[in-house]
Amino acid sequence: MPEPTGVIHDIGYQRYTGPRLGRRHVFGALYLHGLRTVFGLGRSAKAKIFPWLVLGIVTLVAAGVTAVRSQIGEVVMSYAQFADAMSWLVIFFVAVAAPELVSRDLQSGVLPLYFSRPLPRADYPLAKLLALGTALWLLLGGPQLVMFLGAAFTTKQGMRGVWNELLDLLPGLLYAGLWAVVFASIGLLVASLTGKRAFAAGGIVAVFLMTAPVVGTLSIMPSQTVNELAFLASPSTLVSGVGTWALGDLLEPADQGGGLPIGDFGPVYALAAVALVTTCVALLLLRYRKVAAR
Amino acid sequence: MSTVTWITARGLFGRRRFLLLLPLPLLMVLLSVICRAFGVDPGEWGPAVLVGLGLAVVLPVVALIVGTGVLGAEIDDGTVVHILTKPLPRWQIVLPKLGVAAGVTAATVAVPLYVGGVLADSVRLGLALAAAAAVGALAYSALFLALSLVTRRPVLLGLVYVLIWEGLLGNFVSGTKVLSIQQYVIALADRLAPTELLSTTVSVPVATVMTALIAVGFTVLAVDRLRSFSVAGETS
Repeated sequence: MPEPTGVIHDIGYQRYTGPRLGRRHVFGALYLHGLRTVFGLGRSAKAKIFPWLVLGIVTLVAAGVTAVRSQIGEVVMSYAQFADAMSWLVIFFVAVAAPELVSRDLQSGVLPLYFSRPLPRADYPLAKLLALGTALWLLLGGPQLVMFLGAAFTTKQGMRGVWNELLDLLPGLLYAGLWAVVFASIGLLVASLTGKRAFAAGGIVAVFLMTAPVVGTLSIMPSQTVNELAFLASPSTLVSGVGTWALGDLLEPADQGGGLPIGDFGPVYALAAVALVTTCVALLLLRYRKVAAR
Repeated sequence: MSTVTWITARGLFGRRRFLLLLPLPLLMVLLSVICRAFGVDPGEWGPAVLVGLGLAVVLPVVALIVGTGVLGAEIDDGTVVHILTKPLPRWQIVLPKLGVAAGVTAATVAVPLYVGGVLADSVRLGLALAAAAAVGALAYSALFLALSLVTRRPVLLGLVYVLIWEGLLGNFVSGTKVLSIQQYVIALADRLAPTELLSTTVSVPVATVMTALIAVGFTVLAVDRLRSFSVAGETS
């Protein structure tokens, strides 16, 4: 065996001697990048079409509701009802955003590059999840802010009216957060299963849509217990159920229907929501323990 | 049975992801059986399961996944070039693919709809629903196949149609129902087996003409688009 003759020459590149940013910064960068990806910021016009279409429609509806309210002087839609009414658009937004966040990285095989950084396994999916959750919350919270501003400037009771309106807004924003957490965790889990964005989008919509008729069917069963538990079957009605239990009258005043008829099963709904989110996040982390090997 | 048909069918069934199509129809059959077993009045669960789940969700979503998959998947990974460089007229590529997409969709959707229809009312309703769903599958497949040639994001655009146009606007603005395949299917099924379970505002002649127009029109569009198809890398 001949002696190895190779030599590594120092050709004079300057070495990096500054401070090394750690895990927190990697996480922060991933999160910010994820949030920008969802809205297509920093990308071509084509990538902006669908997110901003949804955002535009939602804001338009909020503006319309506000305008009608200021004209006729009655609350057309409370903040929580607004979130419920926009559920189909939220589903579509998840179907647009979640595949962009995770499926592209799977498809192009760049995960080994991410994981060769000082980035623990769990941080990648968690940063993406946080980004999607924030985006969904902004999607629902932004129009609610529009509604609030409209109501605050047209109120006839001075500061007192503004304060009352603010007290209505805060539970609404909390409720929007609940929507965001539940939908983001389910959507991201489904999207992380496939590298094809098209299939991921179809899968997410299928998962959310197929559960709605189950609720419809269970709520006409000849048993009151089943009826009151029926709303567990679909993510959107599950969120409504938790909202009805936790925020109650703050969310929807009794004279406007007063939320879902869930009877005394409020805690069950809360537990189910927590269990659902926990399961989805756990499965997501499990998925990312082996995914980079492709 | 042309080679293109064979390749398309194998491309659809050869992957495990085809199994993703099964839960939707199974759920529908399961719900129908449960409702029937507990003796719920068909007038209450019929519209929810047959229309709400079957015609509004299962049919469009399955058609969307299959319809954009038969050609869109090949465009995505670039293998469509292999077919395009063969000395085949374009219609001999589009028609077999459309046939496979419509056939697979119809088979996946018609069976649970038939079961649901039989359990809800009668064999006649089951057959009517299955036949109408097959016609609808053809129209949806033609639409989504053409969509996968017109744009690079066919699934999202298809979802805009299914979710926002048919789902959201169809509930609030009744005028959009005239341009909704879902309403045509309901109208056709109601004509074949008149019951209380199905109701629509679209008349049967309109539904027939529009369904045929959509199926033929989008197929012609697809052939035309494939004629001047440019193979480009993915942007954005």
